Amino acid sequence: MAKRLRQIAIYGKGGIGKSTTTQNLTAGLVEQGKHVLVVGCDPKADSTRLLLGGLHQKTVLDTIRDNKTEIQLSDLEKVGFKGVRCVESGGPEPGVGCAGRGIITSISMLEQLGAYTEDLDYVFYDVLGDVVCGGFAMPIREGKAKEIYIVASGEMMALYAANNICKGIAKYAQHGEVRLGGIICNSRNVDNELDLLRAFTKELNTQLIQYVPRNNIVQQAEIRKKTVIEFEPKSSQANVYRELAKNIDENEMFTVPTPMTQDRLEQILIDYGMMEKDYQI
Amino acid sequence: MSEALKTKKKSNSISDPRYSCAVGASNTVVGIKGAVPIANCSPGCQLKQTAFLTFENGFQGSIYAGAGNMPSANSTENDIVFGGIKTLDQLIKSTLKVFNGDLYVVLTGCVGGLIGDDVSSLVNEYRDLGYPIVAVDTAGFKGNNLFGHEEVVNAIVDQFVGDYKGERKKGLINLWSEVPYYNQNWRGDYQELARILRGAGFEVNVLFGPENNGVKDWLRIPEAQFNLVVSPWVGVRNAEHLQEKYGQPFLHIPEIPIGAEATSEFIRKVVEFAGIDKEQSEKFIEQENGIYYYYLEHFSEFFAEYWYGMPSEFAITADSAYTLAYTKFLADQIGLIPRKAIISDDPPQKFREQIEKAFHNISEGVDVQVEFEEDGYLIEKSIKEVDFSSGKPLILASSWEINLANDKGALFFEVTPPSSETLIINRSFVGYKGALNLLEKIYSASVGGK
Repeated sequence: MAKRLRQIAIYGKGGIGKSTTTQNLTAGLVEQGKHVLVVGCDPKADSTRLLLGGLHQKTVLDTIRDNKTEIQLSDLEKVGFKGVRCVESGGPEPGVGCAGRGIITSISMLEQLGAYTEDLDYVFYDVLGDVVCGGFAMPIREGKAKEIYIVASGEMMALYAANNICKGIAKYAQHGEVRLGGIICNSRNVDNELDLLRAFTKELNTQLIQYVPRNNIVQQAEIRKKTVIEFEPKSSQANVYRELAKNIDENEMFTVPTPMTQDRLEQILIDYGMMEKDYQI
Repeated sequence: MSEALKTKKKSNSISDPRYSCAVGASNTVVGIKGAVPIANCSPGCQLKQTAFLTFENGFQGSIYAGAGNMPSANSTENDIVFGGIKTLDQLIKSTLKVFNGDLYVVLTGCVGGLIGDDVSSLVNEYRDLGYPIVAVDTAGFKGNNLFGHEEVVNAIVDQFVGDYKGERKKGLINLWSEVPYYNQNWRGDYQELARILRGAGFEVNVLFGPENNGVKDWLRIPEAQFNLVVSPWVGVRNAEHLQEKYGQPFLHIPEIPIGAEATSEFIRKVVEFAGIDKEQSEKFIEQENGIYYYYLEHFSEFFAEYWYGMPSEFAITADSAYTLAYTKFLADQIGLIPRKAIISDDPPQKFREQIEKAFHNISEGVDVQVEFEEDGYLIEKSIKEVDFSSGKPLILASSWEINLANDKGALFFEVTPPSSETLIINRSFVGYKGALNLLEKIYSASVGGK
């Protein structure tokens, strides 16, 4: 019997640590012997740097740009840490063309080339920032990722973005199977962060699947182009990521999120001491 | 089903279209002698514009860089993902080699419009090198070919004609009326309007068609005493822009005059506005009236005596300009009863009340409730519901209404796109001369010819 392939998309505000979290989580899964494909859906093409020990050289859109007629999957896919397969969508140069359309084009190409092989346990889509347009929603459309995790912190804008992403998920959930698997808190050491995130996730009808504490070891590993699990396998931070991998692997709570109105979100922020009552965005 | 479809009574789609999209304004460029359109859009876009506006619209043909000769970027997926500027740059370079144009107009369609290609900076680079080139955003999702026409005119004024500090010349008029190719009689009608205005003592700057002298006429725009807009709404935005840019006044006459009475009144309005001497215009009116009524007297003998198959009622569906002009002439001068007038060019809301008013009291005791409808299904339904009394009605419409006209046993001819059973070279139904052509057309149908 074929294994059940779980396709997962990771969203979150720009700079929140999606790529770092995705790669460390992936490292935790491949350590367990899982077969994983990571698809970077960010024009910066840096979603697989820690798994590959350096930037992926040839993105899907690079090959399309070169008008190469005979494209093989092996041209696009690189193998990294413990056999994890990595693909980068890439994109146009900043300020030019349509990166959203680029994501659609490259995911279609991966499908055509048969990247989704039967031996895979997981496909991760690491998507740029917010669900800004149809292109960036591509991974959560029908037949693609059915599980979403959002990386957030206790910072206000991260929660705004997470709430917005939930609006996108709720929309697609009406007609498809996409569900929210939980929120990953990538801590910024904000006051009351854990309580705030718990209240926030409850209101969103989801769970806080992992609290990832802030730790400088993450940056030290990043500078060396490695995940924490590869760089310091025995560190406490490596164990946090292993726990995240385990929680996701065993997760059974998938919900349609209930995004908040702006007023309600601000009320929660006020209740947990984040906002003065007269603060205006 | 989406919420929008559930709640909206009308469909979101249009069947049997009567206009094309903004990038069809490439034909406005073709209407200027020596001007070259550069179409920055997908493959097929310009083919469709050509087919609709010049081919299946009286088979008007085209000239120089028009129709099948038009340079086109033929943008594909690569241009969408990575931006289409490189492709366009190559296209401009090639166009400059192949066409010896006096003005190049880059019209960007939906692809460049959606992804936000910075076409203006590229075009500015060429302009800085001394090429007469302008860029205009004519993405189809922004509006139809009439919107595109106005965009093209404003872009040429801003980016090619430029600033002007000189004097204005009394008696010189810029003539803005029908939309090249879309209004199928535009060539002949511009000629007739220009002839009339010249006869009345004006110098006329004709910006489109056979009497246009190319881009040098466009460079003279700021010198004119005023802009004359002869159309219910198209061109008013341009005249307002020219007023703001050059402090140049404009006169807006919604109705294109047809027949001696309307044309004489038209001349008097323009002369009054310009404040020029009336002697020449009155002499011209007298002379033209003399010729017009000489012919009309012959016609009236036929009109009074011929008993068979003469229409007494009519229905019309066309753009605002033709619908208003033809309805006025047929109702007021020929005495036909207007049973239905449907405007199909989607005029901006702010003009609709004014257009409706123009149909009220269109002739003594005759009032028309004009309808605004773009969808062919609803247009057909609306005309179908008219219970024409005995005798043959007259239907002026597009090829989409041929079967409907047959069912109604109507006399029929095409006045608006698509018109696939008409060939037009030099035809005019306006002014003094055109009115007689229109009568010939209608009553040839009555006596059995088509």
